Amino acid sequence: MPDSTATLAQTGNEAALAALLVDALNLQDVKAADITPTAPLFGHENGSLGLDSIDALEIALAIQRKYGVELRSAEPDTRSAFASLRDLAAHVHGRLDRG
Amino acid sequence: MNGAAMPAFGAHAPQDVVVWQGGAGVTAATLEAQAGDLAVALPDARHVINLCDSRRNFLAVFLAAAHSGRVCLLPASRAPQALAELRDEYPDHCVVTDESLAGRVRTHAWRGPLQIDAARLVALTFTSGSTGRPQAHEKHWGCLLATAARAQERLLPPGQRCNIVATVPSQHMYGLETTLSLVLLTGGAVSDGRPLLPADVRQALADIPAPRVLVTTPAHLRACVEAKLKLPALERIVSATAPLARPLAEAAEALWHARVHEIYGCTEAGSMATRRTVEGDAWLAHAGAWFESRESGAIYHGSHLPAPIPLQDLLESETPRIFRLIGRAGDMIKVAGKRASLAELSRRLLAVPGVHDAVVFLPEEGARPAALVVAPGISRETIAAALAAQVDPVFVPRPLRFVDTLPRNESGKTPRAALLAALGVR
Repeated sequence: MPDSTATLAQTGNEAALAALLVDALNLQDVKAADITPTAPLFGHENGSLGLDSIDALEIALAIQRKYGVELRSAEPDTRSAFASLRDLAAHVHGRLDRG
Repeated sequence: MNGAAMPAFGAHAPQDVVVWQGGAGVTAATLEAQAGDLAVALPDARHVINLCDSRRNFLAVFLAAAHSGRVCLLPASRAPQALAELRDEYPDHCVVTDESLAGRVRTHAWRGPLQIDAARLVALTFTSGSTGRPQAHEKHWGCLLATAARAQERLLPPGQRCNIVATVPSQHMYGLETTLSLVLLTGGAVSDGRPLLPADVRQALADIPAPRVLVTTPAHLRACVEAKLKLPALERIVSATAPLARPLAEAAEALWHARVHEIYGCTEAGSMATRRTVEGDAWLAHAGAWFESRESGAIYHGSHLPAPIPLQDLLESETPRIFRLIGRAGDMIKVAGKRASLAELSRRLLAVPGVHDAVVFLPEEGARPAALVVAPGISRETIAAALAAQVDPVFVPRPLRFVDTLPRNESGKTPRAALLAALGVR
């Protein structure tokens, strides 16, 4: 299959984070496995999960509890980390690897 | 309030800091000069849609507009559709954002006091409009300051110039009052940014000197409490937009050794009453103000207001100035011929020991009330038994569904569609 499959498939880290999001935000209409890793998490564009700033609060708390990683939206790299599931997973695991 | 021109920075000396930006102070003289520049440089339009996120920019644009006889429009929502409707409704407008100001922010030498007439219409704020179009509310300069003066007595330590960090936007009435009116009235200062995540709040507070005040909402406060945030010395915490659960207020006071004060307010009037949440559920009306209790909703009277303001809320008066909120007109429900208020049921549910957050609502007309509850560690039976002791059995919520958090939107409210989704009803 062409590249699109690789883009759409969740990695193990992404799947774990997707499950955390669905659970933390009570996204009852969303299956964790159905979240496209590259789709925007926030905003109202097509394909976006449509999250808002209060959701960002919940996500940050859930990530801190599960991974011990504290997010700050004031840091430019955290802003881009919230762009998509893929970016968020990369950011969280990047922080974990750096210790 | 006729014709009295008031200096915008009457409470600040020219060298006093008004906004903390990146650890440095922006003085009254600098802001006054910037606003003076903008008063000339703004496009020749009656209305200025002020979408600035930076408190400094918002303040400069607000004062520039007020000084030059323009009116700031402060929309409750940034949704493209909502903004398009606002532009249509007020065709004689310009839009100002942080980006559009970027090349224009110059700092000229101080040129003397910026005056604003107390009777001047300075802003239109808008009620969120969960039904129908947003409704505009006129804000006059003198009334904004008079309201802030009443809030100051309750919220801020006397005789101190406080430094404020706020997690709420300047365009909402609560944000406008706490980050602009209150700052100008008291000679205090505000942090430029609007922190969102707990770590952002900590950083913003660490970047400003004491005495520090955190202006926030129950949703932000809960996140900070759950993160057990270590904060620099805090003088006060102020919360509004939704009722604050008492256990959360208690946790915040214990964690940061600061009093938590709540504001009861509305877009039409700004703040109207306050309480220190840990001391009880009764509210005290602002000085010179009182509430008239009616079945169709209370009416707010204030000596500082041009006219009485009808409210959607139902209240139970102890005296005309001390009261409890018991619900919203329209939130009275009837089950099996009995009446109860959803807000009252929510309040009782929140008061059950072990319940952190909760909301009672009606999934469909005539049905039993349902509830979403955040209460790790206690059982459905325990909650039902506690409620059954206080209310008629038909009002004990069923289903009573445990969730990790309530589906709150940006302003801390719980939209009906989200409640239904969380309950698992389509």
